[in-house]
Amino acid sequence: MKAGRHVWIVFKKEVKDIVRDKKTLLTSIFVPMLLIPVLSMLVGGSIEKLNRDISENVTIALTKESDTDEISNIVENQIIRDYPNIKLIEVDDPIKAINESKVRLVLDFEKDYASKLKEGKPFVIKLIYDKSQTKSGGSLGILWDAIESFNERIVKERLNSLGISPEVLTPVVIEETNIADEEKTSASILAMSLPMMLVILIASGGVAAATDLVAGEKERNTFEPLLTTKPSRFSLLFGKYLAVTLFSFVSVVATMIGAAAGFMIDPSTMVMGVGTDITGFSIPPLAVFLAVIISITFGMTFSGLEIALSTYAKSFKEAQTYMSFLLIIVMIPAFSTMLMQPNDIPAYMFLVPVMNTLAAFKIVLGGSINYFYLLMALGSSLVYVGITLWLAATLFKKEKVLFRS
Amino acid sequence: MINVQSLSKKFGDIAAVSGISFEVKEGEVFGLLGENGAGKTTTLRMLATMLKPTSGTATMAGWDIVKEPEKVRSSIGILFGGETGLYDRLTCEENIAYFGELNDMSKTQIKERIKELAKVFNMEEYLKRRAGKLSKGMKQKVAFARAIVHDPKIMLLDEPTSGLDVSATRDVHEFIVTCKKQGKTVIFSSHSMSEVEKLCDRVAIIHKGRLVEVGTLDEIKSRHGKNDLENIFIELVGDRSESWQARMDCI
Repeated sequence: MKAGRHVWIVFKKEVKDIVRDKKTLLTSIFVPMLLIPVLSMLVGGSIEKLNRDISENVTIALTKESDTDEISNIVENQIIRDYPNIKLIEVDDPIKAINESKVRLVLDFEKDYASKLKEGKPFVIKLIYDKSQTKSGGSLGILWDAIESFNERIVKERLNSLGISPEVLTPVVIEETNIADEEKTSASILAMSLPMMLVILIASGGVAAATDLVAGEKERNTFEPLLTTKPSRFSLLFGKYLAVTLFSFVSVVATMIGAAAGFMIDPSTMVMGVGTDITGFSIPPLAVFLAVIISITFGMTFSGLEIALSTYAKSFKEAQTYMSFLLIIVMIPAFSTMLMQPNDIPAYMFLVPVMNTLAAFKIVLGGSINYFYLLMALGSSLVYVGITLWLAATLFKKEKVLFRS
Repeated sequence: MINVQSLSKKFGDIAAVSGISFEVKEGEVFGLLGENGAGKTTTLRMLATMLKPTSGTATMAGWDIVKEPEKVRSSIGILFGGETGLYDRLTCEENIAYFGELNDMSKTQIKERIKELAKVFNMEEYLKRRAGKLSKGMKQKVAFARAIVHDPKIMLLDEPTSGLDVSATRDVHEFIVTCKKQGKTVIFSSHSMSEVEKLCDRVAIIHKGRLVEVGTLDEIKSRHGKNDLENIFIELVGDRSESWQARMDCI
């Protein structure tokens, strides 16, 4: 009873103390709030622009050998006839023009193309481009399409002149039906990026608070007087631990608010230029509840680790160094599983620290919920909460660690 | 009030404090005199239950420091070192109230007590200001108030005047006198002879973790047949400056 009161007193004071620190507020509320809108506008905007740039104003030229009126005529009036975005221009040195980004591609016709075309034999058009230039490489497909449709037209003409229906060329017509509904497709895009971001945000959210609450307190000489007050060491630790856990989630909530606000202002930029609609997909409440509980236990695990590191550190600076290592430990699994689809996650991943939280988020957001897996993730996460809290408590009681400076 | 029984502390193989025993009566100001590294801080930290003794124990206001550390902590107030150790982002009032709350005082008790202490230490003006924005002298007064907010029976002061200027030192001395007037038992450590002579009823001299002398100033002086505490101290702990002086003379 009294211990609980002591924990509450410490918790209240720590929260008040942190909230008054402008630096912490900036890093744990304002920056996360702006993170997603700014990032998606930058990334989404630039991807969109790039796509537009590639498909518009595709300039092409002919090599010196192919630069005849006849060939220009074929290109302009037959090959790119239906492609207003492709433009044939004249240049002195075609290769140099590619290098200088004046043209995207250069076409080189085989010498005796005219006779081959007449005899019904294949002739070669070489497409010269520079793969290292995004626009040049990106335009290859557009020109390829144009030549393909030219091909088809010639074939049809030839078959018609032979009195054969062009249909003989297509014995099978393929029709595809995607049974994954729109919801699932959009969800799988969420399942890719959101778990990674959530995990990193939760793990980093408490860092500033944890560094301040033990290492910072030791450095400012406020720690010794605190240790001589009535509460037990564990009550002091637990109050601090809860404050750090709270701040692990402040950033997440701030990020979500920022994302929601950004989405309301301009939905199209919020999906990073992928162009998929992410509205209107729903998750069962029980799965959401479990995901929230799992994320809280994940936050607690990291709070425990952060408090332990902060206790172990000799100084504020040392604590900051340890914390940056901790973040790398989270980032590695987060990035390495980013492309993993919810259905492909092996069962053991629901038991591995960090991975279990990522995997749980993925299956919930990806819409392929397996409650047994979620319980596995929750169970293992609870074990890690216990282990890290025990570690923090052990260090917090060690005189050697507590009083070294 | 304080009864220390063969208290020892080892850090690894190093004995910081070896079998110290002494007694402090209620209302006494007791000085722990010793050089740097003699074991004063370790002793006080053990009495404040921040460190666990390797062997031996002590009772503080009737509570055992090993068996009942929480009860001990609620009957002591501390002032460690020259640093005040206040939370900069909390106001003075909040700093004091935090320690009151942690020591199980009620809100109304704390309010009354802060009013009273603000008058005693003349800090009514800046009570609502953040501690980080105060001068060193002001901070020190807040630290005094915080140390005695829960009206502890025992005060532990570890070199409270180290690094302080003349007027701040005088404030600390006045604080000790105030504590004594209020009937508190005070232990304070120091390496300043004049400070000890000025304030203490009884003195213990620690050297290399051992108690080499304990008694009232008069008792110690008559036992050694000297009137100067500094000379007695040098006699007890050995004079490192002698050999140093000899070497200097050679040059």
